[in-house]
Amino acid sequence: MRIKKYDFNYGRRALMEKAAKGVFATGVLTPLWPLIARGDNLAKAYPDELVSIEAYTKGKVKPGDAITADNVDVVKDLLDPIAYQQVKTMGRRIIIVPPTTDITKMFNHDFLEATLKNKGKSKFDATGNVVYEDGGPWRGGTPFPDPKDGKEALFNITLSWGRHDYSLYAIRDWDIQPSGDEAYHYDFVWAELNTTARADGQVFNGMKDMLRLQSVWFTSPQDTAGTSFLSQWYYDQRKFPELYGYLPAFKRVRQFPTNQRFEPLVPGITFFLSDAWSSGDPLLTWGNFKTIGRQPMLGAISQNWKGSLPNWERPRHGGGKGKTFLDTYMELIPECIVVEAEPVGYPRAPVSKKRVWIDVRNNMYVSSITYDRRGEVWKSFETGSGQFVDGNAVFKDTSGHPAWSWTHVLVHDIQSNRMSILAHVREVKGGYQTTFNMDGDVVNKFFTVQAMQRLGAA
Amino acid sequence: MQMNKVLLRKIARLCAGLLAAGALAVWAPPAAAQDASSVDASSTPPVGGDSGGGGFGGLFKDFDISFGGFLRLETAFSTGYENPNNERGDPYNGVSVHRVPGVPTPGIPLTAFVVPNPLLATDVVRPLAPSNNMFNYHTVRGELEAGIKINSNLNFIFRARALVEPGHYSDFNGASLTGTNEGGITGGDPALYGGAPNYFQYRVDGDKHPNPLEIAGPNYLLYFPVAILNYTNGPLNIRVGNQQIAWGQMIFFRIFDTPDGLDLRRHLVLGKATEEYSDSRVPAPAIRIGYQITDSILVDTFAEKFQPTMYPNPNTPYNVIPSQFTVHDRYFEGNYENKINYGMRLTADFGQYSAGLMYVRRYNPDGIFRWTKSNVNKDFPIVSSTGGVNTLGVVENTLALAALTNSGSRLAQTPVEVAPGGVYSADEWFHYAAQVRLNGIGALNSLINDFEPATGLLLADPVTTYSAAHNELDTFFTAAGDSLRGHIARDYFREDDIGLNFGYVTEAEPGSIFDQILVHLEASYTPNRTYTPIDLGQNPLRQHEWTVGLVAEKYQRFSEAFPATYMVFQALHKTKSDLFGRSLQGYGGTDTTAAPGVAGGANYFVLAGIQPFPASIYEAYAAILADPRGGVLAQPGLRWKPRGDITVEGFYTYINGHLGNPNRNALSTLDFADEFSLRLTYQF
Repeated sequence: MRIKKYDFNYGRRALMEKAAKGVFATGVLTPLWPLIARGDNLAKAYPDELVSIEAYTKGKVKPGDAITADNVDVVKDLLDPIAYQQVKTMGRRIIIVPPTTDITKMFNHDFLEATLKNKGKSKFDATGNVVYEDGGPWRGGTPFPDPKDGKEALFNITLSWGRHDYSLYAIRDWDIQPSGDEAYHYDFVWAELNTTARADGQVFNGMKDMLRLQSVWFTSPQDTAGTSFLSQWYYDQRKFPELYGYLPAFKRVRQFPTNQRFEPLVPGITFFLSDAWSSGDPLLTWGNFKTIGRQPMLGAISQNWKGSLPNWERPRHGGGKGKTFLDTYMELIPECIVVEAEPVGYPRAPVSKKRVWIDVRNNMYVSSITYDRRGEVWKSFETGSGQFVDGNAVFKDTSGHPAWSWTHVLVHDIQSNRMSILAHVREVKGGYQTTFNMDGDVVNKFFTVQAMQRLGAA
Repeated sequence: MQMNKVLLRKIARLCAGLLAAGALAVWAPPAAAQDASSVDASSTPPVGGDSGGGGFGGLFKDFDISFGGFLRLETAFSTGYENPNNERGDPYNGVSVHRVPGVPTPGIPLTAFVVPNPLLATDVVRPLAPSNNMFNYHTVRGELEAGIKINSNLNFIFRARALVEPGHYSDFNGASLTGTNEGGITGGDPALYGGAPNYFQYRVDGDKHPNPLEIAGPNYLLYFPVAILNYTNGPLNIRVGNQQIAWGQMIFFRIFDTPDGLDLRRHLVLGKATEEYSDSRVPAPAIRIGYQITDSILVDTFAEKFQPTMYPNPNTPYNVIPSQFTVHDRYFEGNYENKINYGMRLTADFGQYSAGLMYVRRYNPDGIFRWTKSNVNKDFPIVSSTGGVNTLGVVENTLALAALTNSGSRLAQTPVEVAPGGVYSADEWFHYAAQVRLNGIGALNSLINDFEPATGLLLADPVTTYSAAHNELDTFFTAAGDSLRGHIARDYFREDDIGLNFGYVTEAEPGSIFDQILVHLEASYTPNRTYTPIDLGQNPLRQHEWTVGLVAEKYQRFSEAFPATYMVFQALHKTKSDLFGRSLQGYGGTDTTAAPGVAGGANYFVLAGIQPFPASIYEAYAAILADPRGGVLAQPGLRWKPRGDITVEGFYTYINGHLGNPNRNALSTLDFADEFSLRLTYQF
């Protein structure tokens, strides 16, 4: 039992004061990272009202309850504006689960180790890029566990999106029309290979000037299968990635403009390359970073991996035809840093800015909103993440520990009311299975021009 | 040749071995899939979805089979006119033409047929009824694709494509001419010339099935554009089996895109322009080996069985070879089916810059046409089509009888056949010679010179003037009882294509129109490339050719709501031939003058754009191809994808090849084909 030492609004007041005063240490009652380093209970850093949804809502919502249109106003401040609308007007239902207090469930093992090992060893170089203390490429983990500003917070995400040195995600996508009908359905694979900023501290294949290789290829349906894109990211975050693509219509790999990042990859999908991980573009091609606040938040950060279900596919509900939303489990996140940035390197981008809510405990975003050029809310990029443990079902990473990764993304274009549901599944058509194990020469399998050509023939 | 046969056998053995290995893997009993509720989900395959998992432990732990496909109704509504290359589209049908024979002077070419003989002049009307088809094209297409992943290194990819063409056109039937004065069409493959149009079968002399892995009938086609075993090991990628190979960065013009010929039997080149030739490249049994030397440098090699370009069959809607001529494709008899094409391409991408080298040694798939013996022994008729005595026919028969033979046996040694549905007048001869970019006088002379002594015994002599040629042609058409069909052979010749390309991505003010333009320059040089001689002589025309193309592509956002617009400008220069590979020496002819040829090479320009609508559910596009010598092709279109499984697409193709002398530009060849195309696709 915890002693209620502070009045009810103490936590929220403290977060607001921290934001107002520009104090950036995470935690309210005590600094967060010393707790993490000791493997202590994360809840000790926050007062009850920021740890317990029951306390926060004065008993109106408790773990096990569902947030629906009937009670969503109680937690309106804990949701991004699009998520709130989804619950309020579109029949979305969010199930509340107890808070995560064990930091090891919020990271994959190696990345957390690297974060702890390298804490305090990051710095900015003259070009504005993050480097290790010796001036070389960053050596893994979040470079800024206690981010001082929005730029640092977003660097934490950008340098290692998936937090595994290598990830191959099998993704099943459903694109929902405003009527609620399922109009498009795609299977695709998204692969990431960090060449630097790796948790193993190494530079992959001597590619120290690169940050990552990333490719995406569609495996279904037939007219889209083979559509693939390869992005070669430079370590220098001022540079645009090289972009190559294979379009079935052209039957060959072709080069694409490097700033072609705000377009739907295939018909009907609301997801752009720029949206990925809320930080889909090189960080320094965006600018005007602002920290606009700190707040508690509801986020899907645990219990959303359903390894006990066939192909890890969760049921859907809501919307016009009961198919618009994945069943989602959210918990109270005590402290999110809220960051805004503008796409200064893309004068013709349809986006004017993005707002990102980042859980300060693991520095992973829980939601992101983009705004159109008029300043109107346009799209949300709500992401679920968590440890891949579901009862007896466990999915392990290379270290032999339970994996941590993203579980789903809801990309909702609120202006056209089109929804893309991206579910991280076990396997998609074509036989590609989610893995974090580098099985053989993955560079030549998935990250070269020849690979695009070969994958395109699928 | 022996070496090629050995290589072919080796390729066949390797293909068979790998395919057998794939088949074994396919038939291996899959292990029971397990649910992921076991303790370690990372080591167990999933359940559900469209894919199955299978066993054999580690070797086949990644085993998977997936399927997909679509059905598509493709229709083209004609807004143009009948294809003049077809019997019922011939502009001389129903038109009275005055024929004036000339006076032969055997053995004295200078005077041969110079003097007309008005006493034997006749008027002739080409007797075929014109047609007026509403449709140019209506087929049902189905495609099925299967991917069989044997393990992480080996997979089998298979695509079957089936087309059905009901053939409900107002078209020609060769059998309808059997009762005519000339006695019906005798020469050539009866399956192509003797009856109703044969929409799909590619048949060559001596071989009814020259395409491996293809099953075709007059109204249906089933083939396998892709049936390959794909092996990957690190930087090495090997593909073995029937496949298409597309090279180069140009999306309308073919410079590096040399490995494969084109299958033009369906919609010619009049499909969606921005899809370019993806649907048309002729698949061939091949081995393709790629090696990623570094992250930036890729070498790509292939060796494949030579498969020629397939032109539409006679009297099918997009036929490009006038139906008055019977083609003898020597792909089999010339032993070309045992030939191997091979090539190598080296590409290097260094961010903003790229470069490439190419060398291909191939048989030019387009082939070369020349006169060939008809081998049809059919005498000149002694009765004219109007019922009177056919004086000239009687003369020819009498001369032959005097030599103890018959006129038909002499004609059999020449490239002509007495038959209906051929050329009926000198006017028609010169009209078509100009239209197909040949020299009408030269073609007549080579027909005579190259087939002596038979032609001389028939009193034919080479001539030098248009009027003499006109008289001579009318003489023999009259003697034939109205019509002679020509016989031409198609041969193939080896060539070496050497290519070089450079790419550059511009950098300018971010977001400006000059920023991020993808510029590519491709050039190829082919020494001693062969072309159809403009007189259809026995030896191909050989010239060195340069082909140079420039492409500039740009994606630009013009509005916040709409995704970026794709725009492309392309320019192509060819020094010796036109867009379709025809020698420029045959350009510029008219109905009354032989082709003088054109100098300065051929130039073509393309402007095209694609504008996706929000979420890419609609996509508008347009392409314009211009030949500065007086031709233009414009194709606007709209694609609508209301659901993932349904696509509706319509595009209009406008072709105007008569902005000047139609025979001075390439596009007049397709001038007839103005049409609205509609595609309705359901995929599964």
